[in-house]
Order: sequence, then structure tokens, then C-alpha cells
Amino acid sequence: MGTESRAGVWVRTIIIALGGVVFLFPFVWMISTSLTTTGELFKLPPQLIPNPVDTSAYERLFTQVPILRWVLNSVGIALSVTLLQVLSSAMAAYAFTRLNFRGRNAIFVLFLATLMVPFQVMIVPLFIELRYMGLLDSYAGLIIPEMAMPFGVFLLRQAFMGLPRELEEAAFVDGAGHVRVFFTLVLPLSKPAVATVAVFSFMGSWNNFLWPLIVINSPELMTLPLGLSSLSSRFVTDWNLLLGGATISVLPIVAVFLFAQRYVLQGVAMSGLKG
Amino acid sequence: MHFTPSTARVRKASVGLALAASLAMLAGCASSAVPSGPVQIEFFNFTAGADHEAQLQGIVDAFEEENPDITINVQNAPYEDYFTSLKTRIAGATAPDTFELNYENFVSFASSGALLDLETAAPDAIDSSVYFPKAYDAFNYDGVQLGLPESFSVVVLIYNKDLFDAAGVEYPTADWTWEDEQAAAEKLTDAGAGVFGEYQPVQFFEFYKSLAQSGGEFFNDDLTEATFNSPAGYAAGHHLVDKVGNTMPTEAQMGGVGDDVMFQQGQIAMWHNGIWQFNNLVDIASAWDIAVEPGNTQHASHFFANAGVASATTKHPVEAAKWLQFLASSDITVDTRLNGNWELPAVADENLLEPYLSITPPDNRQAVFESLDAVVVPPVIERQQELQDIVTLYLQKAVLGELSVEDALDQAAAEVNALL
Amino acid sequence: MVGDRGWRKVGLVALFLFPALIPLVVFRLFPMVASLGVSLTEWNLLRPPVFVGIENYANVLTDPKFHKALTNTLYYMVGYLPLVLIGALTIAVLLNSRLKGSTFFRGIYFLPVVTSWVVVALLWKWLLSPEGGIVNFLLGLVGIDGPGWWTDPNWAMPSIIIASVWKDLGFNMLILLAGLQGIPQHLYEAATIDGASKWQKLRYVTLPLLTPSILFAMILAMIGAFQVFDQVWVMTEGGPAGATTVVMEQVVKNAFRYGLMGEASAMSWVLFAIILLFTVFQLRFQRRWVHYGD
Repeated sequence: MGTESRAGVWVRTIIIALGGVVFLFPFVWMISTSLTTTGELFKLPPQLIPNPVDTSAYERLFTQVPILRWVLNSVGIALSVTLLQVLSSAMAAYAFTRLNFRGRNAIFVLFLATLMVPFQVMIVPLFIELRYMGLLDSYAGLIIPEMAMPFGVFLLRQAFMGLPRELEEAAFVDGAGHVRVFFTLVLPLSKPAVATVAVFSFMGSWNNFLWPLIVINSPELMTLPLGLSSLSSRFVTDWNLLLGGATISVLPIVAVFLFAQRYVLQGVAMSGLKG
Repeated sequence: MHFTPSTARVRKASVGLALAASLAMLAGCASSAVPSGPVQIEFFNFTAGADHEAQLQGIVDAFEEENPDITINVQNAPYEDYFTSLKTRIAGATAPDTFELNYENFVSFASSGALLDLETAAPDAIDSSVYFPKAYDAFNYDGVQLGLPESFSVVVLIYNKDLFDAAGVEYPTADWTWEDEQAAAEKLTDAGAGVFGEYQPVQFFEFYKSLAQSGGEFFNDDLTEATFNSPAGYAAGHHLVDKVGNTMPTEAQMGGVGDDVMFQQGQIAMWHNGIWQFNNLVDIASAWDIAVEPGNTQHASHFFANAGVASATTKHPVEAAKWLQFLASSDITVDTRLNGNWELPAVADENLLEPYLSITPPDNRQAVFESLDAVVVPPVIERQQELQDIVTLYLQKAVLGELSVEDALDQAAAEVNALL
Repeated sequence: MVGDRGWRKVGLVALFLFPALIPLVVFRLFPMVASLGVSLTEWNLLRPPVFVGIENYANVLTDPKFHKALTNTLYYMVGYLPLVLIGALTIAVLLNSRLKGSTFFRGIYFLPVVTSWVVVALLWKWLLSPEGGIVNFLLGLVGIDGPGWWTDPNWAMPSIIIASVWKDLGFNMLILLAGLQGIPQHLYEAATIDGASKWQKLRYVTLPLLTPSILFAMILAMIGAFQVFDQVWVMTEGGPAGATTVVMEQVVKNAFRYGLMGEASAMSWVLFAIILLFTVFQLRFQRRWVHYGD
């Protein structure tokens, strides 16, 4: 990348470090507060290191409340949704950028248009629809309606449009079909974008609250956000419990994010192949 | 490389595939066979969250023992999300057999025909004599009994005895007026130390009660006009608004900490809040007690009541009614609520409520029953939530100094009139 | 390509497109159209809907509450968009390397994105606490008397903007990072050979080739900003005294709290029209500044 001046390195480091502190500090606070006894909660000036360290919130979370069930449900559903969304989005993006058909642009605009209508006004019609299909209060009801991911289609379409076609054209000349080209060329070359879509897809499903709230009745199907919200009653908020639950719910996504980072970085090596 | 299949073929294929997909989905929708065995009644609630779940289960178990042919399927949602979920289900024709409503929402449900007429549907199951008459009548709409009062709570004055002792102020009594409270609050406030004399939320409920304490009326008799912007109303408004920033902390002074936490940490001396708070105050560091809320020209206390209701479309009206009657008035319910600090059962027999008086803290539980003597029911119209939000909004504007109390109430009244 | 005509092609388009298109039509477009129908009715969800024609639209367009909400929403967007995009761009460029530290820092910037608004709101209300909050404390150190932030009608929206930028920065950073990874290394190498400095590389290689991603992030951020809801709901609930009321907050209140589902639907369709307008404008305008391909 060329040499940087010493000053440049320092400026860079300071910006990143400062930003890092601003962004990290609230989490330290969140974790610290989840480990604080109730009486000490909102003392000003704030104490970052709890004294004494009180893990009772986590004990309560794991013993009195079916939090493992919630986590398992959320993980299973999020993984299923992510897989389906990444695949369907990539395939649709391929269709929009590599196949020509009448109404191609119009259909793409349709995808985009669904992003502009807020979900809240669709809840009731969707609910009625699912009732007719017998999908209420089921895993299928949580996963199938989420299969389309317009945001993913949009992002991957941008990514695919930016890929040079020479490799693909060569493959076609060699007799490969679209399916082969899609799986062996286009997808691997778009690892950063695909990994990004996967992260967002997982995150969207993991944090989804409104839809599971409407669809789910049975406690066995409860997802984590739903479960955590049931912990605060109307008049009382147990801050330890709330923040402990929030800490727990952040961990899996961070894991997914870090895992996906490998693929985002691999892209750097791949792009060297061109030209 | 491009190709362009003919449009007609694409269309045909699309239709074909869409049809196939729809058929597949419809096939998946099996017609539900009627299960043999016990009748399942669903009970959807918002009051038995994490803190009272086990207590509700105790009541359910007792009911199922007495009625082996009925099983109760309990569902819960937190209050903020409860109505979204409930209304969606009702709109989608899958209303729960039985559910809870608080008094303020009752009218809109009742007037929409969504609720079951309990006395007509199951006359043998309902015994109205066990209930506290005012509570029972509250859930009668247009002469039809559409709900059973499941519980009620009152708002009282909760005070921190240690702070009173330190400032050398006499404890509140049942005869206190607004002036007495004000005088005490001034002595108890030490803003520099972060201690405030009182906290009374500036919102609709406190306002209608303060209005009643000043002898005012919220609406005229046939509910065609708002009458709360009267001299009594202005007095009530000032009573609520003028404290803020003096003997009561502003939002800024509270710093994001709730009034409940502030009281628990000993930063508020007198707290207007409900009996549902008792459970959270059991272990706090300071000694505390309660008193009847001070009045102005008269006493008035508001009460919050929840009803158990049944859906008009339930397939098991008789079983639903039986469950509601048990839930609202059985001995085990009375026991559970009293011992669990879980609001109060709305039963008429005072003897049943005796045990409540002997549980401490607080010592002065008698104040709860004294408050009942001067109970006022909130003014309720069909567009209730809008009414509440309008009044609260204008009161908040007065607190911020954007409007005078008089202007705020006048403008609020004008908007409320548009709702009627 | 040979043998390209006919059913084989149809099958191919269907194969690639339908897994996303069918669920979209069934589970998104269909309810959307239904909600358009609902917008022509009066419906409190408890009794069957009643047809009222375009009355809801007339009400919405003449409602001062809606005007205020729309103004606030635009205010939010104008404050939020530049901050979040420039911030994300800066951080993405700075963190676009394979150094171990970079991955760690990327994770840190991403943490707020995955945290729920309930927690983030609590956090920022505490940080921005007028008396005793850290921000005002730090401002005090340099002699500035900090404002009332979210308790002050004039500062409530800026508070929400700050918290939102903090929370969403990592999201946009991720999108821009994906775009940055797509820039071929050889272009940088060529630039180095030509003697370009860091700044010049940034200006002539990175930024132009990043414009598609920037456009993408901008459109999404704008669509999201118009629909801002969670943070307003949790931080201020539209307060203090209506200072931060936004369109979606009004929609949700009308839909489920006030029993005015028809009007709520109409309001969201008016919002849709506005968003569509802005998006089309953005897409038209892109030719001026977005570079695709080589």
C-alpha cells in the first residue's frame, strides 16, 4: 500500500483507538452492570468494576428461566433463515445480472419496494395469511415467510455487477452451464459480499422480535428476544437480569461475525487473480 | 452471454410454478380434527409475567383439580406487546378463549362486540354476589356483564420514614391535604444532596384523580363535552406541574433513573404509586410506610382494575366462564394474591381480606382500604388511549414551560372534544 | 449459446429467481397489497373493517401531528445520514487491512449493531444524562455547559441521532468493507509504481471504485432513516412532549393503541410514496458520481 509517514501512522492509530474506546466502553459498562448488585446500579460517578462481583443475575438466568431453550431456538431458526436467505438472494442476484428476461428491472424494483413499506402494517394481513396456511405457532411459520431478503438481493446484485466477466465467458466457452458458473465462479469470487449478507441475515433473524411475538404462542418455540422481554414485568425492570440477558444474546452474533470475517478477508487474496 | 426466452413461456411457467406452490402450501394446511378429551381453554394474560407466573400456575392447578374435564393453557405477554398480539389474533379470528383487560381498554373491546356476555352464556357459573359491587359494575357495558373483576390496586402515598425522621417532620396522616404535603415536601427536599420531597407522575391518571380531589368533573353527564378545564382542573394542573423542579425532580435531575429506583435508593421522601410496588420495596435499606393520598377539597383515590373476559367467538363459553369465576373469586385466588403481594382480589367479603392487613411491610395496610372509601373510576370513552395521550402530552408541555397550565388544559380539552 | 431458446431458459430463470421471488410475492407483496386495501377502511381490529374510501389519506395529509412527525423524521435524516456514512467510510478505510488488530477493532465497531435498542437506549440515556452523565462531565472539563440532551425538547432529536449513528456505524462499515475488498489490488500496485501518495490513492483509486457501495449504503440508510422507529420508541417515546415524534411512531400508535389501523396503513403508504420519490431521485442522480466496472 505504499509507505506512511510516522505522523500518519500515529493519526491513524489515535483515531482507531479513540473510536474503539467510544464503541467498546458501553459494552464494558453493560457487562459490568449485569454483574452488579441491585442497590449499586445507577450510582454516579459510575463504577466500572463492580464491587462486589455479583453473578446472581446469570445464575437466575440459567436456572429459573429456560434461557438455553430460547438460545437453541434462536440459533436453529437463525441458521436456517441465513442459509435460505443467502442462497435465494445470491440466486436472484445472479438472475438479475447474468440472465436477461422481460420485466427484469421491474421485478428488481419490486424487491426494493418491499423495503419501503414498514413491517408493522403488514403484520395483521400476514397473520391472517399464515392462519389460512396452518403455519401459526410453528418453526415453519417463523422461517418460510423470511426466505426472501431484498436487502441481500440488492447487495449481491451490486457485488455481481462489479465482477469482471472474462472468467465466466471463458467457462461458457468451455461448455459450462449457468449453474456451474454460479457455484464455481461467481459465488466464490464474491465471498466478502456473501459473508456480509450472511452476517446481516443471521443478525436480522436473531434480533427479530415483532414477528415471533405475533406467530408464536407455545413457550417451547420462544426465541431469545421474546424470552428476554418476558422477564420485565409492567412495573418493574430488573436491570441485572435485562443486561445479563442482553450480554448473552450478543455473544452468538459476535461469534458469527468473527467467523465471517475470515471470508471477508479471503476476498483480498482472491481479487488479486484478476487482470 | 444472454438469452431471452419468449415472454409467454415465462408467464406460463411462472403461473404454473405459483399454482404448484400454492397448492402445496394449502395441502399443508390440514383441517384440524376435534380433539377428544378435556376441553382446552386458553388464558392470555399480561399480569402473570416472570414475577407471578408460579402463583398463577397454583391457581390453574387448583382449578384443574376441581374440574378434571377442563385444562387451562396459559399464555403471557408483557404489557407493552400484549395488545399488539391480542388485537392481531382477534383480527385474525383466533382470539384466545379467555384473556385479561385492564379497565381503560375494556370499553373499546366491549363496544366492538368482541367480548362474551358472561351472565347469559353461563348463568350457573357466574355468582355476582361475591364481588365488590363497584368493581363488578365497572365491567358491565350497556347492561351486559362482559367481564369479571380479577384484581384491583390502589395508589397510595408511600413514604420513607428515615428521611422524615432525619428532617424532623411528622409522618403523613389520613387527614392530610395538599398543603400539608407541600409543606412537608419543602422541608424534606435537599436538591444539593439529590433528595427530593415528593414524586407524583404528571400524567392522565394522576390528573383525573387530582381533579376529583378538587371536586371537578372530567366530562359532562352525557359524555359530550370535556369539562376538565375548569377552575378545579386548573388547580389540579398546577398541583401536578408546579412541583417539578422544586420539591419534585425534573427529568434532567433524575438522570435516566426511574422514580422507583430513586425511591428504593432513598432519594424520594413521598412517592405516589401503587400497591403493586410493595414486593420491590421489601428489602430496601430504609424503613417505609404508606398513607392515604392527601386530598384537596375532598379525598379521591383512583383504582386500577383488571378483568377476566372471554372472547365472543370462543367455542367453550361455559367452561370459559367457569374458569373466569374461579380465577376472580376462588379461595385459593384470594389466598395467593394476598400472600404474594399480587394486587388484590375484588371480593366483597371484608373478612376474606383481613389477612392482608397483618402482612408487613408496610405497617399501615389499613390505608389501602381507607383509600377505597373515596375511589373514583377513570373517565373512559371509546377512544380511550388517544384521550390519555392527549392529556398527558399537554401536561408535559406545561411542565416544560411551553404552555401555561390553563392554556395546556384548554387546548387539551379542545382536542378531546374532537374525539367525542 | 446454443440451444438457448424455449423451456430450458424459462426453467433457468425460474430456478434462479423463484426461491426469492415466490416468498416475496406470497409473504411480502400480498400483505402489502392487503394493507393498501386496509388503508381504505376504518378498522380497530376488534370488529370487521368498514370501507371509507380515501378519507384516511385526507385525514393524514391534513393532520398537524403528521406534519410534525414528518418534519422530525426529515430532521433526523438530515442529521443522521452524513454522520453515519462519513464515519463508516473513515473507519472502513482505516480498518481495511489484514492486521490482527484490524479484525479486533472491526468487531468492536460492530458490537453496537448487534445489541438491542433496549440496551442501547438505556446506555445513551445514562451517558447523556444532563447531571452526572459522562458527556456533560467531559464537556464541563472544557468549560462547556452541557445541554439537557434527551430531556430537553431542543436536544432530544440530536441525542437520538448520536445514539443512532453510534449504533449503525458498524453496519455501514461492513457494507463499505465488502466494497473495499472488491477493489483489485493491482490498481493500487499500479498507482504505487506511478508514485502516488496515500491520499492520492484514496482519492483516485479507492473512492471512485467504492462509489457503488457508497450509493448502496446511502439508499439503504435513507430508507431506514425514513422508517426510524425503535430508538425513538425506546428512548423518548416521541417526547419530551412530542419533540421527537416521527412518522413510524405515529403509525404504530394509530395501528395498535388507538384502534385506527386504516389511518395507520394510509400513513405508511404516504411514507412509502415519499421514500420511493427520494430513492428514484437517488438512482437517477447516481450517473453523475457512481462508477461501475473498470
